[in-house]
Amino acid sequence: MSDQPTTAPVTAESIEQALLSFLEERTKTAVPPTQDLFASGLVSSMFAMELVVHLEQHYEVAIVGADLKLDNFRTVRQMTELVLRLRDASAAVGGA
Amino acid sequence: MPERRTDPLADGLADELKAIDTLIGDQPEHWDLDGQIPRHLLSTLGAQGWLCAEVAATHGGRGLSSRANGELTAHVGSRCSSLRSVMTSQGMAAWTIQRLANRDQSAELLPQLVSGRLAAVGFSETDAGSDLSTMSTTITLDGDSVVLDGHKVWVTGAYYADLLVVFGQCDGGAAAVVVPASAPGVTVERVADPMGCRAAGHANLRFDSVRLPASSVLGSPGAPLPLLVTTALAYGRISVAWGCVGILRACRNTAARHAATRKQSGKPIGEHQLVGRHLAELFVAEQTASRACEHASDCWDAGSPDMVISTVLAKHVSAGHAATGAASAVQVMASAGARDGHVVARAYRDAKLMEIIEGSNEICQLILAQHAVSTAE
Repeated sequence: MSDQPTTAPVTAESIEQALLSFLEERTKTAVPPTQDLFASGLVSSMFAMELVVHLEQHYEVAIVGADLKLDNFRTVRQMTELVLRLRDASAAVGGA
Repeated sequence: MPERRTDPLADGLADELKAIDTLIGDQPEHWDLDGQIPRHLLSTLGAQGWLCAEVAATHGGRGLSSRANGELTAHVGSRCSSLRSVMTSQGMAAWTIQRLANRDQSAELLPQLVSGRLAAVGFSETDAGSDLSTMSTTITLDGDSVVLDGHKVWVTGAYYADLLVVFGQCDGGAAAVVVPASAPGVTVERVADPMGCRAAGHANLRFDSVRLPASSVLGSPGAPLPLLVTTALAYGRISVAWGCVGILRACRNTAARHAATRKQSGKPIGEHQLVGRHLAELFVAEQTASRACEHASDCWDAGSPDMVISTVLAKHVSAGHAATGAASAVQVMASAGARDGHVVARAYRDAKLMEIIEGSNEICQLILAQHAVSTAE
């Protein structure tokens, strides 16, 4: 896994692909993008925090406050949407 | 968020540590015997930003890296685990606010924590310790306000605290709420005669229909309790881990000085092989715990997901070594250290508690075992 911010163009497809690889590496299981990771027991609260830190570092976003809710992390697709939304929001205010 | 920070150790944190030593003086022994640290000292250190030194400069804090704050924590821990415990509580409150709060809440609360107000964080209850999912404290939404009901036990630093960060069940999930200790319906009762960290201000808290503005709830109500607790505890664990490094440094130095000067059977006791082994083991313990903490803090500073597991590892390694190391130090010191208040006697009692709080040895092992299984090649 890479801890460095990504330099590649960030699209829904690239985020989804990177997340699927990250999950497969860590859980040794191939997961479909819409699979409920918590219901399937693949993700513990410890691993959920690893996911938060990974997304923050890799995509240069801050996931705090109200965004730290389970629904944002339930599936790869929902995490992808969260990252895109946070990146759009920070671009809109002239941030990263 | 992973805000990039520089490491101020190279820029003279050594001088700052000397200034802190001057404030602490020779008092830790007396604080231990009295069961109290003078409130004005805590306020002074708090107003200088030392009790939660990672708070960003934009909020008036010192903006230390995890690594530099770790060295600070170990240094204070080598002097007094009670004071270090107050730091852990204050830092955990700040970190919890930073992670869970919205921007306005952070802007209001974080500056208070670096200007002399003190804070503590309540998790455990009578029937909810290692398994916090059984927590019975409730945060009920009621229009523009929320109502807090329940209790917390063994909240470190709560006796001194102006602000209490309290976790409870809320809106189908969980939430953390910030409660002024002076709010109507809040009762703070000191834990009588704690075995260790006797001056850390452990208290039991009761909340009877405590009505607060809805803005007291950090972030959004209904978040998953395990994720909230895991997030908050991460800071507590790394802080306790560094505090244990401090315990080990104090034990190693005290025992080694004594062993070099105290003579029996015609030579310094350190030259007797069985005593020498204690000293070697203390050195190994201190170095091993230091490396585990440095690695974990470097993961925090790099924003690496490995921070999560490396923090549990550091906490477990450091607490275990501190407990065995402190016992060895008492053994080497013998009658010279066997009275309450002495640095190794305090270390012996304080270190044992470190194997219990912020994830007991057993809970840490369960987490590490689960990680070993899930990452098996």
